[in-house]
Amino acid sequence: MPPRFDQARPFLTLALLLLVWLLVPVFLKSFWRASFFEFQAPIDATASYVRDLQEYWTLRAHSKHELIEAGRDLARINASYALAVQENATLRAQLDRQHALLQIPPPPEHRLEHARVVRRDFSAWWQRLIIRKGRNYGIPTGAPVVFAGGVVGIVSEVHAYTATVDLISSPNVRLAAVIEGDARPISYQGGLNPTLARPRGVIEFVPLDIAQTHSPTANTPNRNGAAPSAPPARRLLTSGLGGVFPAGLQIGQITQLRPNADGLFQSGEVTLDSRLSELREVTILVPTREREQTAEATAQHQ
Amino acid sequence: MFRSAAFFLFASLVLLWAGLAQLNHALSPLHLHLFGGGLYVVFAALRLPSASGLILSCLAGLWCDAASPIPFGTHLVLFALAHTLIRKSRSHLDTRHTPSLVLVALLSNAALWIALTSFLITRAPIIARSAPRLLLDLLLSEALIALIAPWFFALQNRLLLIARHATGSTRPSDTFHNRR
Repeated sequence: MPPRFDQARPFLTLALLLLVWLLVPVFLKSFWRASFFEFQAPIDATASYVRDLQEYWTLRAHSKHELIEAGRDLARINASYALAVQENATLRAQLDRQHALLQIPPPPEHRLEHARVVRRDFSAWWQRLIIRKGRNYGIPTGAPVVFAGGVVGIVSEVHAYTATVDLISSPNVRLAAVIEGDARPISYQGGLNPTLARPRGVIEFVPLDIAQTHSPTANTPNRNGAAPSAPPARRLLTSGLGGVFPAGLQIGQITQLRPNADGLFQSGEVTLDSRLSELREVTILVPTREREQTAEATAQHQ
Repeated sequence: MFRSAAFFLFASLVLLWAGLAQLNHALSPLHLHLFGGGLYVVFAALRLPSASGLILSCLAGLWCDAASPIPFGTHLVLFALAHTLIRKSRSHLDTRHTPSLVLVALLSNAALWIALTSFLITRAPIIARSAPRLLLDLLLSEALIALIAPWFFALQNRLLLIARHATGSTRPSDTFHNRR
């Protein structure tokens, strides 16, 4: 073999490999990706179950006195929630009647599916969660994921018994949002994740008349004559546009707004919930068709 | 011989992947992420025959690709390229000494990380705004590589010995010596 060819052989092999890879059909690549992921899933799930067991034995170490106190506190919270549920049912009934009167299509209905977080993957490149429910629980791709603090993200991939969630702090997540008290939609994108600090997102196309904080009346001295407190930052909420997230879910708080160079809009930053990087359980909003069918049946009856 | 060696070495790469995944899970509240791409390719490139090392690097790349939200094959291409370049420079390295392997692992890890970051920044330029975080992640990843690479290479070496025993091979393999 000529020495020059021998020198170039590794690169020719690499070039051949790349060519073969480019020619592999997409369905075959998808199949390989899914296969490799399903091989990885048991490793992640096992680690997750071990963590759960560890947590269980940690909780077992608590004294009965602590458990009694926790039970009492939970009973009080449950009582408050029971009242809120009753109030919610009354309001829902009123809303349904108004929708029927005005012939407005009802908002999309969701089934709540709670899932444990198997693994968090929070690099500066992407932020994802792997959850312990997938096709076995009917989780669809694109379903919104929420927690007590608001929006978590969107289900991006669904596997046999796990699913992947792209967090709202991830650079590849964009959604339409509104600022609390204003109905005009603006654009939100995740992507700023500094070390040892809360994740941030970026907002664009904010109208010029919107301020970063609520009205300046909050700056006036309070009744006790104490120093005025800083006005609260405005909250960024989901708009309900696009059909993925229900309207009114919290995304974060606006911490910075500045006019664009073109002078037409403002851009800014939104601070997200710090608990996003510590999540252990999330809720998936699985769309149902029951409500739509009910509405159709009502319309037909009328 | 190759099949059992490749199986054992691939198992060690899966172990590395699982360990890094759990470490990153634990570090997520601090918003830190460690990358160990260099460790997937160095041993295979320096201690295995060319073809089998390339296959192992490609398998490791596909394994990493399956867990990442990037086009399937990105890690494969990067690992294959790193394997080829390391293989090419093998004649200039003393592969019997662990410090040399660690140095190559550090350099290849940094190069892979920079290549991956550059590729992702072209897709989502907003990532570049987290430059301090990116730099800190790279420095901590290099520190982790320096810390665990000697142990990991020793593990892979031991697994190769086990593979030889399992197949009953007495032939001095080029997997243990520097074939110049």
